[in-house]
Amino acid sequence: MHNIWLIAKREYTERIKTKGFLIATILIPLLMGGGLFGVATLAEKSKTTAHIAVVGTQPQLEADLKRELENGKNSKMTVDVLSASTEHAVLDREMANKLLDGYLVIVPAAVQGQRPTFDFTPRSTADLATSSAIEQALHRVLTREYLADKGVSETETAALLAPVTLNVLGKNGAHGNSRTSFLVAYVLFFLMYMVVLLYGMNVARSIIEEKTSRVFEVLLATIKPDELLAGKILGVGAVGLTQVAIWMVAAGLIAARLGATSGVQISMPQVVFFIVYFALGYALYSAVAAALGAMTNSEQELQQLNMFLMMPLFFSMLMLMPVVTNPNSLMSRIVSQIPFCAPLLMDLRISISMPQPWEIALSIGLILITIYAVLWVSSRIYRVGILMYGKKPNLPEILRWLKYS
Amino acid sequence: MPIVELEKIRKVYDTKVAVEGLSLSIEQGTMFGLLGPNGSGKTSSIRMMIGMTVPDSGSVSLFGKPFDRKALHRVGYLPEERGLYKKMKVLDQLVFLGQLHGLSEATARSRSIAWCERVQITEAIEKKTEELSKGMQQKIQFIAALLHEPELIIMDEPFSGLDPVNAELLQDTLIDLRKEGKAVLFSTHRMDQVEKMCDAIALISRGKLVLSGSMREVKSSYPRNRVHVVFSGDDSFLKNAEVEEAKNYAGVAELKLHSEAGAQKVLAEAISRGTVIHRFEVKEPTLEEIFIERVRASFGDEEARGIVDA
Repeated sequence: MHNIWLIAKREYTERIKTKGFLIATILIPLLMGGGLFGVATLAEKSKTTAHIAVVGTQPQLEADLKRELENGKNSKMTVDVLSASTEHAVLDREMANKLLDGYLVIVPAAVQGQRPTFDFTPRSTADLATSSAIEQALHRVLTREYLADKGVSETETAALLAPVTLNVLGKNGAHGNSRTSFLVAYVLFFLMYMVVLLYGMNVARSIIEEKTSRVFEVLLATIKPDELLAGKILGVGAVGLTQVAIWMVAAGLIAARLGATSGVQISMPQVVFFIVYFALGYALYSAVAAALGAMTNSEQELQQLNMFLMMPLFFSMLMLMPVVTNPNSLMSRIVSQIPFCAPLLMDLRISISMPQPWEIALSIGLILITIYAVLWVSSRIYRVGILMYGKKPNLPEILRWLKYS
Repeated sequence: MPIVELEKIRKVYDTKVAVEGLSLSIEQGTMFGLLGPNGSGKTSSIRMMIGMTVPDSGSVSLFGKPFDRKALHRVGYLPEERGLYKKMKVLDQLVFLGQLHGLSEATARSRSIAWCERVQITEAIEKKTEELSKGMQQKIQFIAALLHEPELIIMDEPFSGLDPVNAELLQDTLIDLRKEGKAVLFSTHRMDQVEKMCDAIALISRGKLVLSGSMREVKSSYPRNRVHVVFSGDDSFLKNAEVEEAKNYAGVAELKLHSEAGAQKVLAEAISRGTVIHRFEVKEPTLEEIFIERVRASFGDEEARGIVDA
């Protein structure tokens, strides 16, 4: 125990002192915050702003369409209404000169009471946003016209076309906010994902460090390989936790300063389970990374193997959507028990809708068993692997190593 | 009570036999030289002594008891391939390694500083390891092996890569430790160092013990049949029937004779032929000569057996 502590302490103090730690601690939240802000702004700006011309013979329809497109829910376009006599060649030329993004030709139906034909010629056929905005606008305009025809008053039409608001309630009947709880789950998910990826690889690297610098031979003359591995995981792990703690506290302070206006509420159980699953997931992935580090002798070899660390994480990512949309389906319940996915997915389920207590207990138990098994295997691989350095092990060799001592 | 006792240890890696039936014992207060050509199994044997690998068969005893990891606190080990944490400060590094060997932080710190003074690298204490020269790093590792005042000191090629001044400094340090009653084992290719320093040696080749014993025993088991002659004039005395092998470097000759008694006859012939003798010295073979002879013989045997097997 004393040796594990010494190894962990060295690992922690040496890493905390590096410039890399300081930079990552400051830079990553800045980049992430900036990224989120950027995406949000972009989403806001994604309302189509195309400039189009409408050519037709029904002034009422065209005026309605213009209003809808210029001030609609999803569009802020500029619309020129032109008379039917306008030559298409003129419009084509204007489009080539980038004065127009497209034009819509409305041809009335031959038979009275049928819909007209709408022909849209965009400058770029890839401009899907504009064509879908036009499509929606036309639908609304036509519906409104039809209702007006049937003698429905304008206020009634507006009421009919108003969007429906669905109130999603929490279990206690309170006015829950599904969007924020989803957002919180999402942020926690990515925080865990990123830290596991970042610091898992650091564990592997720090194990290789002893091999490339050949310090291990001195260390192993006094301590056992499993003590070394456990110390490494704890030490590097503590660095990761320190970093996350700094981010959390900073985020908390900022949130407090901004006040509760954001409406984001994280419940106490959510925090506790996040910490538990975070620590477990972190330990599990670090143990896997330790095994990878034990198998390899250099950074390059590690790069080839790090897909073993990434794959379960990617799988969890893929499962994110199905679990979010249906947290209590059989599939969600099964995948959230897989030890490599549980830290992310079970935690996600907990923050969306609380699963059965036995499910939580089972997943924690499975993770603990897996951590122990992975550590046991990696310390054996490490011990045999370092003393047979020089060549890269293949799978049969690794299996044979497990039988050694 | 022998400090180290190996009893017929054997280690096989895949198909390669690294060590085959090696037995040896090292007494307290001796300087023990482990000799052998490259790849002969020196490092493998040392690793089994400190439990880094386990022998396939045979037994290892330290301090009179079967091997136990607890005994490692009484052993200081300098591996052949040096390794230190590059980014760590020298003092932090030494304290860390000292603590791993069971010292308290304060003791480790004060001893580290004392040792740095003793091997004359005080200016390195506050530096990072990667800023130091190779020789200095080697001295630091040398200190790291000795901080916890081990009773058994095991060093794999301790003087390789050092300049003569520093090599001598470390040699003297080891000799002092031996005087304090510690057992020192080191491996080397440098026969002059062994001849000067060691009380006992073991020569291994191809994983097998070829020769062992105290320096006196080893040397006296070989006849004093080497002659060093410095002469001028007629060199036909070199063809005397007593001479088994002669190397003549124009006026300086190294002779190997069939027997110790032959030296007088050779000298008599030289004088009778009118050769002027400036120097005529009868010697025992040097350790280097013994080494080369025994290693060659062991390889010859192997090859011979290979042919028989085929």
